[in-house]
Amino acid sequence: MAACTQRTGALARLIQNVQFHHERMFSVFSLRLQAAGSGDKPPTFTPPSKPVILDKSKPEEAARRFVSPEFIPPRQRTAPLKFFLERKDMIQRRRVLNIPEFYVGSVLSVTTSDPHASNNTNRFVGICIQRSGKGLGATFILRNIIDGQGVEICYELYNPRMKHIEVLKLEKRLDDNLMYLRDALPEYSTFAFDVKPVHLSPTQEVPVNEMKVRMKPRPWSKRWERPKFNIKGIRFDLCLTPEQMEHAQKWAEPWRQYDMLKEYDTSTLEEKIYQEVQAELRK
Amino acid sequence: MRLTVRALISHGRVARRIGLGPESRINMLRNILTGLVRHERIETTRARADEVRFYAEKLIDYAKKGDTNKKSMEMADFWLTEKDLIPKLFRVLAPRFENQSGGYTLMARIPNRENLDRAAMAVLEYKGNPFPPLFPVKRTHELNLVNQLLKGYREEKAKLTTETRDS
Repeated sequence: MAACTQRTGALARLIQNVQFHHERMFSVFSLRLQAAGSGDKPPTFTPPSKPVILDKSKPEEAARRFVSPEFIPPRQRTAPLKFFLERKDMIQRRRVLNIPEFYVGSVLSVTTSDPHASNNTNRFVGICIQRSGKGLGATFILRNIIDGQGVEICYELYNPRMKHIEVLKLEKRLDDNLMYLRDALPEYSTFAFDVKPVHLSPTQEVPVNEMKVRMKPRPWSKRWERPKFNIKGIRFDLCLTPEQMEHAQKWAEPWRQYDMLKEYDTSTLEEKIYQEVQAELRK
Repeated sequence: MRLTVRALISHGRVARRIGLGPESRINMLRNILTGLVRHERIETTRARADEVRFYAEKLIDYAKKGDTNKKSMEMADFWLTEKDLIPKLFRVLAPRFENQSGGYTLMARIPNRENLDRAAMAVLEYKGNPFPPLFPVKRTHELNLVNQLLKGYREEKAKLTTETRDS
């Protein structure tokens, strides 16, 4: 028996040397040998290792880059030092509180501490209809309809009362400001509180929800058809006549897009701030 | 836009109010800019020249991106009301300022208008134009003693730096 094990050991060693060349052919054989050599017990089944399928036809995608819009200073005369100092505070807060990537049109769930509520927390779910403010005072507005009553809550991103922000559905809409949901039918701003978050991989592009909403009868809180708002997410054909749409073009300013004085190109600024924030957060 | 007290407390309004409204202002500037691209040196009132100067420089910046760029082509099409000037912008002016970033124009004050309203006037030009220079060219006195001494000093300094770098 001892000689047998010795022989199998030598064989195994030999096989290990050869294995390098013909891995698949010998690996099963050596396994069977070891099982047989261990004793009188019948050879136990050892399941093969799970295959890992790597799709090499697709290039490896990088995670999408995102700079939260409140990091980009507005175009004004204020000294850049103010924004630099605020950025430092914002990063410090971000180390403690995870502020995820989200856009106008994403569905969020926000938990804040509220001394008047039971167990001192308050959770609200709604669609983000506006992001405003720069620096530490940045805010976003969540809208939902609860018991037939529209509710909008304006949260400050860097408020110390903010406990947890969770993105339930990460998506964009056709517009950067969804204030017109106030004048839309209530079904477009109704969201259930007990929805599970939809996962979106960090390499994937954020999907754009190209939904167009139907509106309540006029008058609305604002004349959304005016070119100044430049709204694409409303079914104007259902509530306005072509004459009315044409009349709204009276307020169009077609020269505005060519006025170079009004341009504010933030691409280089955005890149610089992105690098700065990433370097600080990695520390 | 020049820094003036008015601009300093303007609350972000950097544009002058010219003409009958914003559209009229842009149209006026378009016409002046077209004239500037055609003649390369023009004479207007000082405020208009100062206002159009920014757009003249930005237009060159756009032109340097090439005529295949969609945005720059749109800009050239809007700002040049006479379309025969578009090739000139891309083929003559953009290559002229290839090695330069900013400062493509020159503005000079000239005496007030006499005939009409005594408005302050100015001359605006693209640099490198074929006209005689606006300001007298600075004469260099190479053989002046001070210049000769300075030249010797510079040569000596250059020699010293190369020696220290080699050793």
